[in-house]
Amino acid sequence: MLRFWKERFKRGIVTENIEIDKELETLRKNLKDKIKKLFAGSLGIRMVDSGSCNACETECNALSNPYYDLERLGIHFVASPRHADVLFVSGVMTMNMYHHVWDAYNQVPNPKWVITLGDCTKDLGIFEKTYAIKGIDLKVDYHIPGCPPTPKDIIKGLIEFLEKIETESKN
Amino acid sequence: MRLIARFARENKDNFEIIDVFEQEIKKTQIDKKNPSVKTITDIYPAAIWMERKIKDEFGINFEDSFDERPLIKHEKFPKNIYPMRKNFTQKNIEFSEFEPYQYEEVKGEGVFYVPVGPIHAGIIEPGHFQFSQAGEDMLHIEVRHFYKYRAIEKMCENKTPLEIKKIVERISGNESIAYQICFFDILHQASEIEQSETYKRKTAILLEMERIINHLNDLGFIPNDTGFSPALAFMSQLAEDARRVLAKVTGHRFGFGAINEEMNYDFKPVFEFLNYLEEKMNFFENWIIDIPSLWDRFDTTGTLTKEKAVKYGVVGVGARSSGIKIDRRDNEWYKLHGFEIQLGKKGEVSDRFLQRIKEIKNSIEIIRNCKINNENKKIEFNYFKDGEYYSFTESSIGELFMYINIKNGLIDRFYVRDPSHINWQAFHTCIYKDIIADFPLINKSFDLSYAGNDL
Ligand code: SF4
Repeated sequence: MLRFWKERFKRGIVTENIEIDKELETLRKNLKDKIKKLFAGSLGIRMVDSGSCNACETECNALSNPYYDLERLGIHFVASPRHADVLFVSGVMTMNMYHHVWDAYNQVPNPKWVITLGDCTKDLGIFEKTYAIKGIDLKVDYHIPGCPPTPKDIIKGLIEFLEKIETESKN
Repeated sequence: MRLIARFARENKDNFEIIDVFEQEIKKTQIDKKNPSVKTITDIYPAAIWMERKIKDEFGINFEDSFDERPLIKHEKFPKNIYPMRKNFTQKNIEFSEFEPYQYEEVKGEGVFYVPVGPIHAGIIEPGHFQFSQAGEDMLHIEVRHFYKYRAIEKMCENKTPLEIKKIVERISGNESIAYQICFFDILHQASEIEQSETYKRKTAILLEMERIINHLNDLGFIPNDTGFSPALAFMSQLAEDARRVLAKVTGHRFGFGAINEEMNYDFKPVFEFLNYLEEKMNFFENWIIDIPSLWDRFDTTGTLTKEKAVKYGVVGVGARSSGIKIDRRDNEWYKLHGFEIQLGKKGEVSDRFLQRIKEIKNSIEIIRNCKINNENKKIEFNYFKDGEYYSFTESSIGELFMYINIKNGLIDRFYVRDPSHINWQAFHTCIYKDIIADFPLINKSFDLSYAGNDL
């Protein structure tokens, strides 16, 4: 155990203040406040894969690594759609996943939002329509492009999404 | 004789079943009017999914098969269409009536069933596990997949080889580089170009980087599933470091498009990263070995016996940690570059965990031996000769097999057998002494692909 503590002190804190600080400084400052105001301090995301190549999920998992540490912003990936405010959807939406994704969507309590993740979810990205693909027909509130979007892209996308719904709630 | 793949294709006058074994390839012609052939599942149990898939896609019947349930055609997928036949060209089909799927279940007093999925609790691909339980004990588990079935094989047909490049890169995100290497190997074969030494080294470095990243992730997730999260924090940071190095060299965090005709890369960041990685790995190994509660969970859990692994033709980390010498890198070229096959003994979670540490160390060694001089030669693919091509690559999961048939310059049949397609099927053989709470741990120790399996 001693070895571990030594390594820990040597390493220090690695969480990055990524460029969003520079690029979107004001947003970053407001982000926690926004989540506090709009989502009582915690924004729950349920991720559903509707037929992806798994790179989009891998990048969402990376958001929990010590560099990004998404939880510090009050954003959590939750285990059940019933705990979620936002449904993240990745992939092309296959025939075989279609009803399951809709099930998950229906289980998210109102008010709810859908964010699509990755080029697959919009016009199938580089893929082509086949008989096995249905395509996403949920009402999408925000789209994060990229193949896959990097963790930074996802954080930025989330911030812009919050901006958007805040403006909408004011109107 | 190890079975690698069994798949079908349609010719003008007949169907053809191609059986790929380790030493030979067998072809069987089948009448189109009454398409039927004998099953081989009595000898090769891993042919079950392959045959069920062929039946769904081509409507070929397998005589004496003990399992005739649909595989890719789920509850609402129309059962009366055979979409891989050449005359099937529809791009849109309607859902049909719900037809319940008959799960394999163990019956008996006090036995109950736990269905899990297709959507799981974490950030993970969709698939379904049906457990037959007696209390906490798992009696049987049926793995059911193909939720992500995108019909990639059909998607690739009637295109030129280079047109499908972007699709091949994205079949399975975590094995993208391995897929690209297989694909480029076939492009080389079809253009009758020999792979240059520099090309071989460059692809080897990228492949080992992909392996390192995936193994690092697993080394974090496996302990995390026992509740030991510091390992995940440590390893997910290291995996991120490695991914950034890959992005720095190839311009993409997963290496999409990394294998191409130019590959004009500066590998310096990779070589610099190796020392840091080695130091961290040494620390990690010393530290993790000292945590007894972890090994309490790892040892004796999820045992894949050598006998079962051979029976199912298991490949990759799963096979090697049960002591089976299967690795597509086990050849002269790789050995010359420092490859040494790594083996476990008992096929338990602990073996698969340690296997990944050993393999990362060996990957470091291999990369170090792949010195790149500055020579850079663009590959010129001037033509692709019609014919059938076979290729193998050792992805981070295991042996990847790809088959392409080119006819009149276009792809007539594209087939892939992801290592997961075999290994998923051996899954139910390694749960018997374990309880349901061990399942996530066992699952993660294999770390199989859903996307690559479902295609
Ligand atoms: S958008 Fe790209 S990375 Fe994401 S699932 Fe689709 S192919 Fe994979």
